[in-house]
Amino acid sequence: MSTLKMQQSGLPEGLEDLLGSKGLLTGEAAQEYGRDFMGEVDNAPLAVLRPETTEQVAEALRICTEHGLSVVPQGGRTGLTGAGVPTRPNHEVILCLGRMNKVRWLDEKNHAMAVDAGCILADVQKAAADANRLFPLSYGAEGSCQIGGSISTNAGGTAVLRYGNTRDLILGLEVVLADGTVLDMMRALRKDNTGIDLKQLFIGSEGILGVVTGAVLKLYPAVAERECALLAFPSLPAVMQSFAIARESTNDRLSAFEMMPQNGITLACERVPDVVDPVEGDYPWYALLEVSASKQGSGLQEMLEGLIERLMEEGLVLDGTVSNSESQRAQLWRIREALVEAHNDMPHLLKHDVSVPISDMADFIETATDKVQEIAPDAMLIAFGHVGDGNVHFNICHDENNPNGSLATRKKEVTRAVYDLVQDYRGSFSAEHGVGSMKRDALRRYRSESEIAVMEKLKKALDPQGLLNPGKVL
Amino acid sequence: MKVLVAVKRVIDAYVKVRVKSDGSGVETANVKMSMNPFCEIAVEEAVRLKEQGIASEVVVVSCGPQVNQETIRTALAMGADRGILVQSDEELQPLGIAKLLKSVVEKEQPDLVLLGKQAVDNDFNQTGQMLSALLGWSQGTFASKIEQQDGKLRVTREIDGGLETLDLATPTIVTADLRLNEPRYASLPNIMKAKKKPIETIEAEELGLDIAPRLKVLNVSEPPARQAGVRVESIADLVDKLKNEAKVI
Ligand SMILES: Cc1cc2nc3c(=O)[nH]c(=O)nc-3n(C[C@H](O)[C@H](O)[C@H](O)COP(=O)(O)OP(=O)(O)OC[C@H]3O[C@@H](n4cnc5c(N)ncnc54)[C@H](O)[C@@H]3O)c2cc1C
Ligand SMILES: Cc1cc2nc3c(=O)[nH]c(=O)nc-3n(C[C@H](O)[C@H](O)[C@H](O)COP(=O)(O)OP(=O)(O)OC[C@H]3O[C@@H](n4cnc5c(N)ncnc54)[C@H](O)[C@@H]3O)c2cc1C
Repeated sequence: MSTLKMQQSGLPEGLEDLLGSKGLLTGEAAQEYGRDFMGEVDNAPLAVLRPETTEQVAEALRICTEHGLSVVPQGGRTGLTGAGVPTRPNHEVILCLGRMNKVRWLDEKNHAMAVDAGCILADVQKAAADANRLFPLSYGAEGSCQIGGSISTNAGGTAVLRYGNTRDLILGLEVVLADGTVLDMMRALRKDNTGIDLKQLFIGSEGILGVVTGAVLKLYPAVAERECALLAFPSLPAVMQSFAIARESTNDRLSAFEMMPQNGITLACERVPDVVDPVEGDYPWYALLEVSASKQGSGLQEMLEGLIERLMEEGLVLDGTVSNSESQRAQLWRIREALVEAHNDMPHLLKHDVSVPISDMADFIETATDKVQEIAPDAMLIAFGHVGDGNVHFNICHDENNPNGSLATRKKEVTRAVYDLVQDYRGSFSAEHGVGSMKRDALRRYRSESEIAVMEKLKKALDPQGLLNPGKVL
Repeated sequence: MKVLVAVKRVIDAYVKVRVKSDGSGVETANVKMSMNPFCEIAVEEAVRLKEQGIASEVVVVSCGPQVNQETIRTALAMGADRGILVQSDEELQPLGIAKLLKSVVEKEQPDLVLLGKQAVDNDFNQTGQMLSALLGWSQGTFASKIEQQDGKLRVTREIDGGLETLDLATPTIVTADLRLNEPRYASLPNIMKAKKKPIETIEAEELGLDIAPRLKVLNVSEPPARQAGVRVESIADLVDKLKNEAKVI
């Protein structure tokens, strides 16, 4: 511990002067910040720092570094790999960006807006919509997660097919390094080839290289027309074939293709209020498909109906519905959200967020299902995902009547089998959710030594004392 | 029993409506349009009457421009049998629409005309009542239940403070309230079938009716923006504010 003066609490003195009482939480008030979304990690922090400005972030980091204090950058705490909470109790301070929540500017003509890192994603979407623009990043956690957290996890979500991951939506970034250096890269430019593109280092690196304090976001014209369909399929290959046809025949208007299994929808209807399955019969697979355009009258409805007619004629789609109003559309999307909510608290839930080449998805899911059933024959599999991104959420749990099923003792084995198979397809063991504290072993197993070595060198260069988010990723 | 259902195309109820900067109305360009939710409920009810064997045919009518065909098509996908577009590119107000509907009624001779109780664009809540007056037919407005009873239609109405039950001799007019039913999702096979169902077009002009607007909009403005909430320090503070600022206790 440093020889510099510390308070009784173990905190450097300068922090309270810098942040004031609202900006510094300790004791009970700080405790909840140490618990992650799924309740899998719960480590109380020494304190929670809640700065209001970039200057305060810089000064706070400088003070912490001077005192050798570890800092966990934190957004909305919705991350799913334990990345935004301490790894040891009463040892680390949390730097929460929540009070930095202002839109700095919005420039319609340049299709760009600048925001503080602590802005809630849904608020950013709304600010863009109020200016008749679209910020396309969207996923289940959008009401709580922050733009800084989305950036630090390079979050994906439901619009990746059309607009890309968070990385594709970032024009500029403002970052504070561990020693308090501020990197102002808030340029609102679409072209800027001036040396190494440093901002990319901080996107998706889960707070281990620097703290994001601001960002310039890419906007799109607002969506004025969209058509949403729920389709029912006879088989997994039919889902994939339909996606391929949809991609080719919708004039680049396809903006979502979310695959859902029947058991997931059934659970959603049973366990989440106000969710209804609008399709009468039972089919093994479903998908939510959406086409959208920035102008009314661009013929989306005919295009979609033409596509569906073709899919039905070829026997790829058996039934389904097309929403005829925004309210019906919202209810169809509600099924997709509820599917996740419905199994979040099932016994022994094991989440695998993996990606493989799109053309291998059906094959992967079928093979992985067989492998898991060999190890845990009584397990329930819920495989859903973003078909357009090759991303499968291959979740496994037990049903409520079987709390002591085989997964209780075989989780490691199951995950190993799934990840090994992913590797065979040259896929990724973490498509969206990052590595955090939970998947570090997998990173070492499935990434090459040379890749890891470069990551470690970068970490060392930017955070030589290893104080930023220790125990995460590497 | 033959049922005629009137449907209106309106700005989708989920869309945030923008007022034109000159205050002359609301922005409709590049805005998502859908069937008026109360009309959707009326269509659903008609289709259910047919499924129960009470209705023999369900005809859908919409007055307005050519694009209203899309709204008619939506009703056909839900299960209506055929459509009629009374085409007009002029501004139509409740009285004008009621007159157009009257001429369709005279041609089609339905036993029941179902309408939404009001449209969410202008909230007039007049068309059904005016049609009833023009035809001299009975009416059951704000229906939350429709049954067949001894050759009459028994309609439960939602009124202030309770429910009223009416037995209506046909032909009659019923307007649908929110709780009448939960409209269905059209299934893909029915959406495809709907494409082949006939839609007849009648030119409004050729009916020789006076459908000119009677009402003139002077100004349309946004409601005042809601003020942000404040966090009070204590219960005493809250009580004080409720008493002296909000003046509600
Ligand atoms: C219901 C639900 C649905 C989800 N759906 C998706 C999905 O579809 N696609 C997807 O990709 N992800 C999804 N996620 C996970 C997603 O990674 C997180 O929700 C989100 O991106 C994290 O944002 P956050 O603000 O909550 O960050 P936190 O959870 O607080 O932190 C996440 C990571 O970012 C770091 N961090 C946060 N803010 C900063 C900052 N300002 N500077 C530096 N580092 C920072 C933290 O240290 C941590 O490493 C979902 C999560 C939930 C709970
Ligand atoms: C007629 C013309 C039109 C052009 N139009 C455009 C344009 O519209 N947009 C635009 O962005 N640019 C344009 N350029 C410039 C553009 O940067 C180059 O043409 C091109 O990208 C360089 O490719 P090259 O293979 O010729 O590389 P070189 O000129 O050989 O090298 C360019 C740089 O890349 C490095 N490099 C080359 N290959 C490798 C490798 N395999 N690994 C590591 N480093 C490597 C070199 O060391 C050097 O730094 C134009 C150039 C010309 C002549």
